[in-house]
Amino acid sequence: MPKDKSILGAGLDRRRFLQVAGASLAAPALATLPAGVARADDVVNLTFWAWTPGTQDVVNMFEKKYPNIKVNLQNVGQGAPHYVKLRDAIKAGTGLPDVAQMEFNSIPSFKALKALADMGTSGANDVKDKFVDWTWKAASDGDKVYGIPWDSGPMGLLYRKDVFDDNKLTVPETWDEFADAALQLAKNKPGTFLTDFGAADAGWIAAVLWQKGWRPFHVDGTNIHIQLNDPIAKEWAGYWQKLIDAKAVDTAPVWTTEWFAGLDSGKYASWITAAWGPTLMTSSMKASVGKWRAAPMPQYKKGDKIDSNWGGSNFSAFTTSPHLKEATLFATFMGGDPDAGRFWNTKEFLFPVQKALIEDKELMGTKYDFYGGQAVNEVFAAAENQVDVGFEFAPFQDYVNTQIQDELAASIGGKGTLADAFDRVQDTVVSYANDQGYTVV
Amino acid sequence: MADIAATGSAVAKRRRRRIIVNKRVAPYVFLAPFIILFVVFLIVPLLYAFDLSVYKSTLVGGTRFVWFDNYKRAFTDANFWSGIVLLIKFSLMQIPVMLGLSLLFALILDSGTVYAKSFFRVSFFIPYAVPAVIATLLWGYMYGPAYGPFAQLATAIGWPKPDFFNDQTILPSIANIATWEYMGYNMIIYYAALQAIPTDLEEASLMDGAGAFTYALRIKLPMIVPTIIVTIIFSIIGSLQLFSEPYLLINLARNVINSHFTPNLYAYTLAFTGQQYNYSAAISFVLGGVVAVISYVFMLFANRGVSR
Amino acid sequence: MSIVGKSTASAGFVRTRWLLTGVLGLYFIYTFMPLVYVITASTKTNPDLFTSFGLWFSEDFHLWQNLYDLFTIQKGIFSQWLWNTFYYALVSGLGSAVFATLAGYAFAKYDFIGKNFLFALVLGAVMIPQTALVIPLFLLLSKFGLLNTPWAVILPSLVFPPGVFLMRAYIDEAISNEIIDAGRVDGAGELHIFSSLAFRLLMPGFTTVFILAFVASWNNYFLPLVVLNSSEHFPVTVGLAQWYASAVSGSGGSLLFTVVMAGALVSILPVIVAFLIMQRFWQGGLQAGGVKA
Repeated sequence: MPKDKSILGAGLDRRRFLQVAGASLAAPALATLPAGVARADDVVNLTFWAWTPGTQDVVNMFEKKYPNIKVNLQNVGQGAPHYVKLRDAIKAGTGLPDVAQMEFNSIPSFKALKALADMGTSGANDVKDKFVDWTWKAASDGDKVYGIPWDSGPMGLLYRKDVFDDNKLTVPETWDEFADAALQLAKNKPGTFLTDFGAADAGWIAAVLWQKGWRPFHVDGTNIHIQLNDPIAKEWAGYWQKLIDAKAVDTAPVWTTEWFAGLDSGKYASWITAAWGPTLMTSSMKASVGKWRAAPMPQYKKGDKIDSNWGGSNFSAFTTSPHLKEATLFATFMGGDPDAGRFWNTKEFLFPVQKALIEDKELMGTKYDFYGGQAVNEVFAAAENQVDVGFEFAPFQDYVNTQIQDELAASIGGKGTLADAFDRVQDTVVSYANDQGYTVV
Repeated sequence: MADIAATGSAVAKRRRRRIIVNKRVAPYVFLAPFIILFVVFLIVPLLYAFDLSVYKSTLVGGTRFVWFDNYKRAFTDANFWSGIVLLIKFSLMQIPVMLGLSLLFALILDSGTVYAKSFFRVSFFIPYAVPAVIATLLWGYMYGPAYGPFAQLATAIGWPKPDFFNDQTILPSIANIATWEYMGYNMIIYYAALQAIPTDLEEASLMDGAGAFTYALRIKLPMIVPTIIVTIIFSIIGSLQLFSEPYLLINLARNVINSHFTPNLYAYTLAFTGQQYNYSAAISFVLGGVVAVISYVFMLFANRGVSR
Repeated sequence: MSIVGKSTASAGFVRTRWLLTGVLGLYFIYTFMPLVYVITASTKTNPDLFTSFGLWFSEDFHLWQNLYDLFTIQKGIFSQWLWNTFYYALVSGLGSAVFATLAGYAFAKYDFIGKNFLFALVLGAVMIPQTALVIPLFLLLSKFGLLNTPWAVILPSLVFPPGVFLMRAYIDEAISNEIIDAGRVDGAGELHIFSSLAFRLLMPGFTTVFILAFVASWNNYFLPLVVLNSSEHFPVTVGLAQWYASAVSGSGGSLLFTVVMAGALVSILPVIVAFLIMQRFWQGGLQAGGVKA
């Protein structure tokens, strides 16, 4: 019988096609996996971009539980370079992974690019209640879920007990006390600073200003409200300018080897940082083991309990993914699985976003050698519940960060005061927003 | 026998004729592989970049054709021109020093009056083998204000710690890295050119009573002027495109290196952080134009100088 | 070989010799300072990196441990990076040298329509800022589905305009027209002339271009950074830069600066050794360019 020259191509004649089609129609009965997810003999390959160390271990956990989904983990850069690659892929229209690490502050930007998939359509909302409220809200829009929370960064104060004791400093509870301590330390021991002011640390600047009530952005459709140089920012700038001029804080670049060495050696007596700060310290600081302690972030008014967040990531899926169901399954596992959550906290010292873990007194009460036996998590757990919600990042946050870095660092370099820098940033960001088609209101 | 031989050679001639490439066609055949790759990987991207530069894509509103708006904006962009001015300062500082050293060492090595000639020749070329990433990393450590060796030495002697990353020192600091990387490369070029000068000239000038020094300066040096001009042009082109060193050092020197420190860095930031791919392309073209103009002007002066 | 100056063995001459050697010696110290730094840093433990003098060793000799870490971290990805770098550089170097030689031969030995225009075009290409090309190149490569493959790095590197100039100048000098005309009289085709007669003479120049292109590819950072996403394709430059960024932000866990330094040392050694071996060839190449054939 002559080969049927069907449109199905050379190798597959009609009879065989019907056989195959019939076979696939006959097998929907396999109900072990959530509806729509690949059958046991169909391996789905997902690509996942993330930089957090230890991720491969949790990926292995997932693959064990769902053996028909294979995840290819790639580290394409840490922070900014990772987002550059994502944007490049969006521009090219191809090459995006299925899932990627997405920090809270980047979600608005990638939403604006219409790149983030709504995982709510694949059942993500089922895990909503597992997570601390503000973290879920920060990554979603009503029922639209753009990210499954991974970790968060509630702010606190890490300080060197030995340096404080040697210099008879008490742990500051307000910013005024902090300033006094800085001046006192600079007077008693020149060369040792209470902290290093990172003018180019845009993430840190946003976090500390967040605590003070700074709300620079609000987007409503294509309208955008921009106020970076309001009195809150100017006051904050004035506060730090005073300390800088009095040489009570250092202005050396942060996130460098020398800066880490400075924290380790006691040159810097404290670091205002997020809950993941300890992670970085334990792995790179050997001389100061046992000498660090954690305390709540200083407040503007004594007795206040206002906190903010720095960093923290989510698992986000992309609209170009051909396997959104599997991607959602993966994301909800990585962020919501109790064992995964426990791993992130105990092995990588990431601060958990799962309610169950934060309420786990034993976990929160873990004593850390690096902190001389202090149960550091308790400090941050309290802070986590005090994070003041309502902070919105810009839909072009990377651009804003670059401007902040350029201008504030220039002030340190001699070009006016920090307050002036905020004015300059306001101008460039407003003109950028206009240029990008937003209506600045 | 003769018949077979005759037939054989006739066949051979036919065979050879079949694969003979016509003399007129040959150059195109030889050029083809290079030109094809050149067009695909250089010309086509360039055309695409030009296409990008006459459009504008925004977060709100999509993409639209904007004629030469991006170019108009580039011509009045302070960030761009401040970068050009900075690079002109940089070039005036770095190129004479680097090429001066290259020339000096090339002359010394060529004169044959030093010990361990080969040793020096090879070791001066080694920095060229070190990738810019690694060179900048290493010098970045060496420049370290608290823990770098220079700071350590200064403290040991009792001097104040040197600051390599302030307004006055940043250009020399970067110039140092560039010089360290490329001095040897230019030196080898000059050395080869000097070595190519026929030795009968030496004998002739010696007989005329010229000393080694005079010989080098008055006779050999002018003979390699064309080579020197070429290296100057390539150095100008290279330094106007400065990117790697400031890009890799920026975190160590944020107070003085900003995101538009050099035009190339500006183009990079525009595209990769600001998503302004179109404007970035325009900036790159204007930069290319500036490079072409400066190179051309320099060539004019140089040729006039030579023909004098 | 210069004979100037050898006419006298006076004290003045010897003094000059020592003086000049001293000048070169000073520059030698300057040249090797960063290399001494990378060597000593590779032998230290991480805390020692900041407490001991930068340009000398510390008491703890930790080199073997650092090297062990270097080759075992992340399942030995560093060896993969080294191999990638070598592979990209070898293919790009050979390919671009071949194409540049062919093109240089055409420019040097033929007159044809469009010759000056094409040559000026190639010359102009050198002035193009790399940033102008990277984004369109990225978009082009993604259209062909070549992103994140070795071809994304190799193909653009096959275009090496400086090689064309070098070969044109070299062939002008090294291959006389007589040889070529003789071949034509014999009835040989142009390709035959090139391959059998000319190529042997071209070897020194070819080697020079190969080495320059090889080094350019070995040192390439920006292009691979943009077009590669998977670490198994990274060359050493991109991989080390990523490790450095991780080490700086402290989240690398086992990634220490000392290991990054050891990686830097290992990645520059092969090229330096290759130079030392090949210097006989390319020195001759540059020289022969000046010597009449």
